[in-house]
Amino acid sequence: MSLLDALPTPRLGRGGYPNAVLISLSVVMLAAVWGLDTVSVAPNRIVQGESVHVQNAFGWPGALLVSLLVIALGSLAYQPSRIHYWAALGVVVLLLVLMPFGLMVASHFLIDPELPQARLGIGGGYWVVLFISLLGIVELRLRLGLKRLWPVFILSGVGLIWWLCAWLWLKDLALVQEFKARDHQFIQAIRQHIILVSTAVSVSVVMGTLLALLMRRFARLQKVAFALLNFLQTIPSLALFGLLLAPLAWLAANVPFLAKVGVSGIGNTPALIALVAYSLLPMVRNTYTALEEVSPDTLEAASAMGMHRIQRFWQVRLPLALPVLLEGVRITTVQAIGLTAVAALIGAGGLGTFIFQGLGQAAMDMVLLGALPILILALLVDAGLGALAEALRPGGVQ
Amino acid sequence: MKPDVKRVIRSTQATAMTAWLWPFLWGTLLAICIVGIPHAQGIFQWIEPDVRQVIYQRTPFYVLLERHVLVVGVAAVVTISLGVGAGIAVTRRKGQDFLPLVSQLASLGQTFPPVAVLALAVPVLGFGTLPIIVALMLYGLLPIVRNTLAGLQDVDKDIKTAARAVGLTPLQVLYQVELPLAAPVILAGIRTSVTINIATAALGATVGASNLGDPIIAGIINNNMAYVIQGALVIALLALTVDSVFDALQTRLRLRLSSS
Repeated sequence: MSLLDALPTPRLGRGGYPNAVLISLSVVMLAAVWGLDTVSVAPNRIVQGESVHVQNAFGWPGALLVSLLVIALGSLAYQPSRIHYWAALGVVVLLLVLMPFGLMVASHFLIDPELPQARLGIGGGYWVVLFISLLGIVELRLRLGLKRLWPVFILSGVGLIWWLCAWLWLKDLALVQEFKARDHQFIQAIRQHIILVSTAVSVSVVMGTLLALLMRRFARLQKVAFALLNFLQTIPSLALFGLLLAPLAWLAANVPFLAKVGVSGIGNTPALIALVAYSLLPMVRNTYTALEEVSPDTLEAASAMGMHRIQRFWQVRLPLALPVLLEGVRITTVQAIGLTAVAALIGAGGLGTFIFQGLGQAAMDMVLLGALPILILALLVDAGLGALAEALRPGGVQ
Repeated sequence: MKPDVKRVIRSTQATAMTAWLWPFLWGTLLAICIVGIPHAQGIFQWIEPDVRQVIYQRTPFYVLLERHVLVVGVAAVVTISLGVGAGIAVTRRKGQDFLPLVSQLASLGQTFPPVAVLALAVPVLGFGTLPIIVALMLYGLLPIVRNTLAGLQDVDKDIKTAARAVGLTPLQVLYQVELPLAAPVILAGIRTSVTINIATAALGATVGASNLGDPIIAGIINNNMAYVIQGALVIALLALTVDSVFDALQTRLRLRLSSS
């Protein structure tokens, strides 16, 4: 279970105590808006950009608008009530929606149309405000007692608006330029990444569940298997990918059948094997504890009602264990999304290619083009599977 | 002293002794590897018969080990003080408001893949050791915060009330009652965090932080399996040594708690 469900959610401030969390978030946001650089302007791809502060990027009216929104957020939190929290949520969403338009204004002010290579980078202030807005949404969700699905909906809407803006108007943005230069490659890489992750996770779900079931049957296996899986985790992912290169290359060279199936030293096969090996531990551990943790009283009640073993497993044990089991799938998938990026080093493709190519060329926008989708993918999977586990919990949402 | 009390003490001492056996064994093995790898030409030649140079020689292994330990250590010290500090702060009355957000933030930290964090940290912090320390900090925060919160919240309310009633100040309650009782759980969190990070730190080699990941990267690039094995072997042994040290510490803590 995620930690949060175990924690008491604070009640809405009845006596109207100021919400210290939102107030401090808005103070930090205000400091970031005025203290850090908002955007950066670079004449081309390799040169480090020149940072620009908020009043020059948006002009004074824009800078004041942002500050007013942030101050409104803080003052709404001063006397919390349900209406005020909803209003604060509206303010945060408005702030998020306005972000790409701010970039448009900045590119209008700062980018010289005579220079075709000139590009606008997103500065530290922008990232901090974005991150703190996300924290604000999390905090407001908890205070309002909303389901996990809500932020997913809100952020998908915001993301759609960003995507449209980037597609239609933000041609000067460095990230967009970087994408336009290799859009086919990018879509190919995302597809590759998702295929690798989903294959590895499905294989490890099947294997993990089987292993957990066997462990419940044979107690001796449990110790050996956990020791082995724990040991696997101490080998760095980088090394595991590397170590598989030679044996698989040898197999591909000496067993023609395997080579025909597609086994080779570099590429997908070693990546998949390493991904599955790493995914097994969280998967097995969660499945095992999930199945073990079902209360013996419930099981006894099921037997007393006349269920036999197989019925008891499918109708009682498994449904009750499902949320914890899904938690294992969530951890495994998020971990696999990150590890697949490393797999790019052994030629497995995926979004990691952009990261390592970009690092090699010192082109940070390209690194961003690889890293951001990985981050978004991880957050999406995390939120989606978290919401699913919440919905599946017997007895509904707490 | 009664004989059975004596026996209990002796068996306690025995457990304490055997607890330190594993760290000693793994540590010795690690030392043997560090010293022995440069002389094990024959073994590695057998693995990579076609390559002329099979021993990673750009930097001596003890230097790499030292850098690796330094990176993980710095990240661990910062993470532990931040994580335990935050855990203590949000379980006090004044910081209660921040409790849900901090726990969410910590679990968010583990959702961010270390590679992505590493890549995003490079433009801000430059190439080298700093980005990997940041990535490790973010990644290692969750287990520590989670366990600190769990440990402190599990302390019996009645014990705390009793401690206040005897006249301890809130600070004394924290140091003399809550933290000692929560220590085993907090230590378990630190153990998970540090062990994961020893393996993750190898990623730093991709952004120019020189550590035990170096031989691995060099091996992948040059298609030289011997390098990869050397790097992986030393990292795995380091992780096992540190893990067993934590195991011994946990045993000792448990013994002290149960004996007092």
